[in-house]
Amino acid sequence: MLFDSPAYFLFLIPVVLSYWRLNRRAQNIFLLLASYFFYGWWDWRFLALMIGSTTVDYLIAQKIAPSRADPHRRQWFIFSIVLNFTILGIFKYFDFFAGSFLGALDRLGIHNLPLPLIRIILPPGISFYTFQEVAYIVDVYKGRIEASRSFFDYGLFISLFPHLIAGPIQRPGHLLPQVQKPRTFDADRFFDGLMLIFSGLIRKCVVADNCAVLANAVFGGQFGPSNFWLVLLGTYAFTWQVYGDFSGYSDIARGSAQLLGFHFMVNFRQPFLSNRLQEFWRRWHISLSTWLRDYLYIPLGGSAHGQWKTARNLFITMVLAGLWHGANWTFVIFGAIHGVVLAVERYFFPARSKSAQPDVPPRSPGFLTLWGQRILTFNILALSLAFFRATSLRAAVQLLAGLSNFAWRSEYASAFFMLCLFSIPLFVVDLLLEASNHEYPFATSPYAVRTALAAAALLVLALFSGSNLNAFVYFQF
Amino acid sequence: MPSSTSSSEPRAIFYSKLLVGISALLIVLFEFLSGYLLKHHSETYDRVSHQYAEAVKMRPATPGQPTSVLMVGNSLLLEGVDVNRLKELTSGQMHICPIFLEATGYYDWFYALQRLFREGARPQLVVLGVGVNSFLANSVREDYVPLMLFDMRDSLGVASALKMDRTATSNLLLAHSSVFWDTRTVLRTQIFRHAIPHYRELILLLKPQPSIPPPEQFQTIANSRLERLRELCESHGAKLVILVPPTPSSVDAVRQMTMAARRARVDTLVPIDPAALSVKYYQSDELHLNPEGAKLFTTALATFLPRSVDHEQAASPN
Repeated sequence: MLFDSPAYFLFLIPVVLSYWRLNRRAQNIFLLLASYFFYGWWDWRFLALMIGSTTVDYLIAQKIAPSRADPHRRQWFIFSIVLNFTILGIFKYFDFFAGSFLGALDRLGIHNLPLPLIRIILPPGISFYTFQEVAYIVDVYKGRIEASRSFFDYGLFISLFPHLIAGPIQRPGHLLPQVQKPRTFDADRFFDGLMLIFSGLIRKCVVADNCAVLANAVFGGQFGPSNFWLVLLGTYAFTWQVYGDFSGYSDIARGSAQLLGFHFMVNFRQPFLSNRLQEFWRRWHISLSTWLRDYLYIPLGGSAHGQWKTARNLFITMVLAGLWHGANWTFVIFGAIHGVVLAVERYFFPARSKSAQPDVPPRSPGFLTLWGQRILTFNILALSLAFFRATSLRAAVQLLAGLSNFAWRSEYASAFFMLCLFSIPLFVVDLLLEASNHEYPFATSPYAVRTALAAAALLVLALFSGSNLNAFVYFQF
Repeated sequence: MPSSTSSSEPRAIFYSKLLVGISALLIVLFEFLSGYLLKHHSETYDRVSHQYAEAVKMRPATPGQPTSVLMVGNSLLLEGVDVNRLKELTSGQMHICPIFLEATGYYDWFYALQRLFREGARPQLVVLGVGVNSFLANSVREDYVPLMLFDMRDSLGVASALKMDRTATSNLLLAHSSVFWDTRTVLRTQIFRHAIPHYRELILLLKPQPSIPPPEQFQTIANSRLERLRELCESHGAKLVILVPPTPSSVDAVRQMTMAARRARVDTLVPIDPAALSVKYYQSDELHLNPEGAKLFTTALATFLPRSVDHEQAASPN
């Protein structure tokens, strides 16, 4: 059930209306069943996998809390982590690694090795719910949170439908207490939830889907052989597409959660206004980047052991972040580019020590320097996304190889005009949000104004929505 | 609605309800408006609905009457066949009813024909001309077709044949039931034509062209589709002819298509060898025939199509 499909709203409206008529316990059971229905809408076969993995982690968590004097605490913890990543590995990465291994042997002259490819369909949302389960197990083991006594509460924390398929990845310490406590209906937040849904639909259906048409045409070779202008058009269009797509998805997820009385963490904070890639990752897919920071980068040693180890840790974290996005070398290269750039940035612009002169504010760059850095960061990102979008390394390299050819065709002007038509309004919205620090534009305006804006948004949606051929980019992860 | 309300803002509840109400109202308004625009301003709707209504009335010819021919296809026929001229040139022998809709392919016409037959259409000859790429494409047109050519059963059939997920299936069903949902991309295209300079030229580049699969896959796909089409037509007393309109890059595809058709016992009609047609007969998109090319193609079609009819009459026990 895609968030931008009528089917989702035919599901959401009765769920919200019924939900607020129930008591807390019944609410949780009802939402759990609704979430399983939502998941099963894609493919009922994978529901058993998710319920099974949820059950195992629920049971293991009962044994590993520090308060439990279980002598096998550590073994249960390791078992759970290994099990979660094995399931993810089999479904998402087995064919990739096996195929790459066979390819490498083939190049060495060893053919026909009987290593089978399992060719399993990727269960929807597996990367997201696995990360949530791992975070829960780690947090319980470290004593940061209590293990949930109720299966329904834990099951709902894992499978609550607004975040189930593509996040935002919820931290146990943030969402689980909300699941466990009674929710009170807050009309202001309910209205904000509606506004977030409208904002998300505009980002996805108007910005992302129209930019996708351009990106798909460039990456699909419909404009002909690559050149400088096509690299610019294709990578910029995809950059805006993926931003509109995923931030739109996150807004709809957060808005839907708010209609049910939950609060999800903010997942995007005007990422294209970052002046360095370090800052970009603090503003982009925040739920993933903070997960990677807390459960991978810091356990690896973080930045505590000198420059080289910091660089190594950054590189490993980003390569794995790339691989998390998909089982393809293109994602590995995407991650590696970010790892290298982050390490270089870290070398030239070391993080401010917390103890060093806390009373002296950091020197802010001048207007031109700031915008120069923002433009540079945006372009590094856009070029790295060529690997993210391309279907193979060869395709990405072929596209980027066109950078030295400046041949212009008149159709490009229309294509760039179309790109500006959909990206500039989102950029302006981001500038407004940056200045106001709000969740959506005009968030503090009178209700009447916001209602009128939402009605106008619906009109824009009706007239400018792209085709429904483009599922959310992050659904494939 | 709420079981417990902590908000100090009853206005928020009022405006939430108002927003939901306005949204519902706007959706109803869009539905009426798009219905109105479709019926009064859409050339495509006007053309296809008239052609469809004519096609439903088709019956087998009685002795002495011209053979009833249903000709269906996409923009290659819409641009490449001068229907009036074709009717004029073949008037004694054939009564031709065309239904041409751009960007359609095998699945669009298989299910459209199924519905036409179900509704009583009984042509003696069915001519399908969509170009080889479109014949092999695994897609349906998501505007106009669900509304005008499919019924609910066909939409479900298409969804199952194309292995659509539940969301895509529900979108297709909605496109069949809601004029707005069906035609929203049409409205958007019209707006873009006015808002984006040279959008007509741009859209040609933006539309992905279905590719031709490798030869073995080609034969497997084409064979099964041709056989299904032939069986459908034959079970309703019609003979199927595959018309292959010329496109500059279709020489090899035409050869493969002819082979597949022969294997599936379906007649193919290639009135003009694409290799023999120079670029000057095509429009600037290098895909569709220009008026000169259309004249040439129509004349050739008028020459060769009656032979299919003669062949059909010779083979018929009547």
